Amino acid sequence: MSTSSAAYFASNFLGKTVIDKTGEPLGRLHDLAMTRGDGLPHISSLIVKKGKLLSNIPWAGVDLFNVFVIAVDLERAPAEPFDPAEQGNILVRRDILDKQIVDVEGARLVRVNDLKIEGCRDALCVTAVDTGVRGLARRLKQERVWSFVTSIFKRQLPHKEIGWQFVQPLDDKMTSLSLTVTRDKLGDMHPADLAEIIAQLPHGEAEKMFLSLNTETAGETLAEMEPEVGTRLLSSLEKEHASDILEEMAPDEAADVLADLPDDTAKELLGLMDAEDAEKVQELLEHEEDSAGGLMINEFLALPPSMSAEAALTRIRTKALEMEMIYYVYVLDEALKPLGVVSLREILGAKPMESLEQIMSQNLKTVNVDTSADDVLEIVEKYGLWAVPVLDEDGAMAGVVTADDVLTHSLRFALRWKRFRAKRRF
Amino acid sequence: MPFRFITRAAGKLNRRNLFLFLSILGPGIITANVDNDAGGITTYSLAGSRFGYGLLWMMLPTMAALVVVQEMCSRMGAVTGKGLSDLIRERFGAAVTFYVMIALYLTNLGNTVSEFAGIAASLEIFGVSRYVSVPLSALLVWLLIVKGSYKIVEKVFLGACLIYLAYPVAAYLAKPDWGEVLTASVVPSFKLDGSYLAMMIAVVGTTIAPWMQFYQQASVVEKGITKEQYKFARLDVMVGCALAIAVAFFIVVSCAAAIHQQGLSIETAADAAEALKPVAGPYASVLFAIGLFNASIFAACVLPLSTAYYICEGMGWELGVDKNFTQAPQFFWLFTTSIILSAVCIMIPGVPLLGIMYVSQVVNGAVLPAVLILMLLIINNRQLMGEFVNGPVFNTVAWVTVIVVIVLTVLMTVDAVSPGIISRLIGTP
Repeated sequence: MSTSSAAYFASNFLGKTVIDKTGEPLGRLHDLAMTRGDGLPHISSLIVKKGKLLSNIPWAGVDLFNVFVIAVDLERAPAEPFDPAEQGNILVRRDILDKQIVDVEGARLVRVNDLKIEGCRDALCVTAVDTGVRGLARRLKQERVWSFVTSIFKRQLPHKEIGWQFVQPLDDKMTSLSLTVTRDKLGDMHPADLAEIIAQLPHGEAEKMFLSLNTETAGETLAEMEPEVGTRLLSSLEKEHASDILEEMAPDEAADVLADLPDDTAKELLGLMDAEDAEKVQELLEHEEDSAGGLMINEFLALPPSMSAEAALTRIRTKALEMEMIYYVYVLDEALKPLGVVSLREILGAKPMESLEQIMSQNLKTVNVDTSADDVLEIVEKYGLWAVPVLDEDGAMAGVVTADDVLTHSLRFALRWKRFRAKRRF
Repeated sequence: MPFRFITRAAGKLNRRNLFLFLSILGPGIITANVDNDAGGITTYSLAGSRFGYGLLWMMLPTMAALVVVQEMCSRMGAVTGKGLSDLIRERFGAAVTFYVMIALYLTNLGNTVSEFAGIAASLEIFGVSRYVSVPLSALLVWLLIVKGSYKIVEKVFLGACLIYLAYPVAAYLAKPDWGEVLTASVVPSFKLDGSYLAMMIAVVGTTIAPWMQFYQQASVVEKGITKEQYKFARLDVMVGCALAIAVAFFIVVSCAAAIHQQGLSIETAADAAEALKPVAGPYASVLFAIGLFNASIFAACVLPLSTAYYICEGMGWELGVDKNFTQAPQFFWLFTTSIILSAVCIMIPGVPLLGIMYVSQVVNGAVLPAVLILMLLIINNRQLMGEFVNGPVFNTVAWVTVIVVIVLTVLMTVDAVSPGIISRLIGTP
């Protein structure tokens, strides 16, 4: 069997007549089955249709395979009857062409117009999906006409191909194919992009895709979603799984999601969560959504005044990955009342044995749990802070509001309007 | 008994179910109301004024067909979570989709033209020249799509649906003989006469339009209705269709009582409004004009935008009003050209508004069978729909609808191409 290294497209072959060694036509090429190759999936057999009968001819029996002629030797690899409902194989026409897939690089959903097939070693590999106008013209068998029309306007028919390693099919069967190229491509995408893609998917597929994410990515994605989409998705999951995802999320984000759920469901999920995490979330749920208490995160770095800069740095190191806000270290007394604040920069610049008391700035700007979001924003803007500490009724520190959270909240109207405008999906 | 779900849903009338129903209410009602657009109102007015109560008996069978067709769409939407053009693309491939989309675009272009004709006609009743009203409303529609939000337009329209109450009021003011109306609406009366047949066809053609199926299914998907809540969506479709047909019914009745009884002949919905004056008083005619304007302007907002959506969805192009001309060129050009072309079309001096509306109904009818057949093939696919495929009764009703629509469409097209051929064939003098 010889394959040239030229690139073809699936639509060049589909529908072509397949002949045997004697030149007898066996039927038309109805579909191509793919299996995992090393890196790229390769064509493993031809599905040939004669009348109503489908037969499967393994790749081993193929003598010639090009756009002019497809010839097979049935003695080398006999044809077997093929059942179209059979789900073990992945078929180009049935499972990929015309379906939606995720373009991981462009972070969006695209429709597959055609598949690029190239010779690799001694087989044919699927190397890219064609999502452009040219692919569409090729499928309609009008590539020449369209090219001619565009050439009149001194233009080229646009090419748009996405390499196989950058696509993530939505079908669960397909993941086994793509996993050989890169592990969990979706995990490399930004959660905000993932959220947008999931919001565009039909409900069944949205659930599947969400389930395929690991809990950490799922949590980040959930936090980025529009509340109603996130709530719908979370309610469709197993309760245990949902609570695992909530545990992975920052408490303030988990609280935002839970706030939109019906009370009994929210209570149930909180009950399933790890007690410590649940308590943090519970605290946040008690505040009004647009007050400092509703916006704050209740995880922050609080250290005693006597601690040395070096010890503080070690503490920051151990906490760095689980804390959202590590730029400020708050110096608290025994009653948890704030005495001052030290920034990470000041700690790095200080002499190792200096105590926090010596380097902290005592002039601390604070807000109360019931301070309105707009007032918090004003303080953030006026003093150029990354975060503002929030005090409860007794003056003890309850949490911090980060600048980006308060910005998101206050810009919500502008952002929301843009999103709201685009809401209706006809 | 396939319609048992009505009694079953009604049997479990409790607060929770009522609340669920209210939360799902919407898609069916809006779709059915948009359906009573300029072309629809014109057709019904003409039906009433030309044939009196003679066509009222068609309302119930037409409603049954409409319910079956729209119900299938909302079922597909709820089960698959995909739009109709998505499903057509995935089931029938690029080529079929491409040609169906071209047909859909042309159909909806015709419909959009007739919406602008409706705007022009209704404002001319108030003495506003079409050379003012049409460009202004075209600009307004375009700005609403690009800068505004369809959601808000939709809410405004839901409120404006109350304007449709104008029609029952106008019907009441026209003082029809209600006993006669009741008899006429259940007893079929049939005339073998070319213009009567053509009007029958136009009534069906305007009531079941191809874009409605896409719109209905997209609304269900967008609302996030799943198969679990599906029985409520079913009810929503029925309520919507019943409301739309009721409006149509009252338009026919008011025109029949006011115009047909006087023996006047009218050509447009605007004529109808004028003719209502002496019988039903000036208010009825103003109400009529407002109703026509409301229906036209809203449909003019929906049609170009939704068509651009379905086409881009099916072809896999970037779409969304949050994009811009460079990010989603096809999407933006599709709706912009349809608005501009339609508006320009109406501003050609001496263009026959009624002719345009009538032709757009013909094109509607020509595309409808194709869409319905694709729909039936998809909805009977067990791999896709599982237990939600059509039952035998539904399939029968649906196929009968398809065949009737095809037959009517063929007749209507024949009649549109060569007027009077039907009466010659039948041999009426």
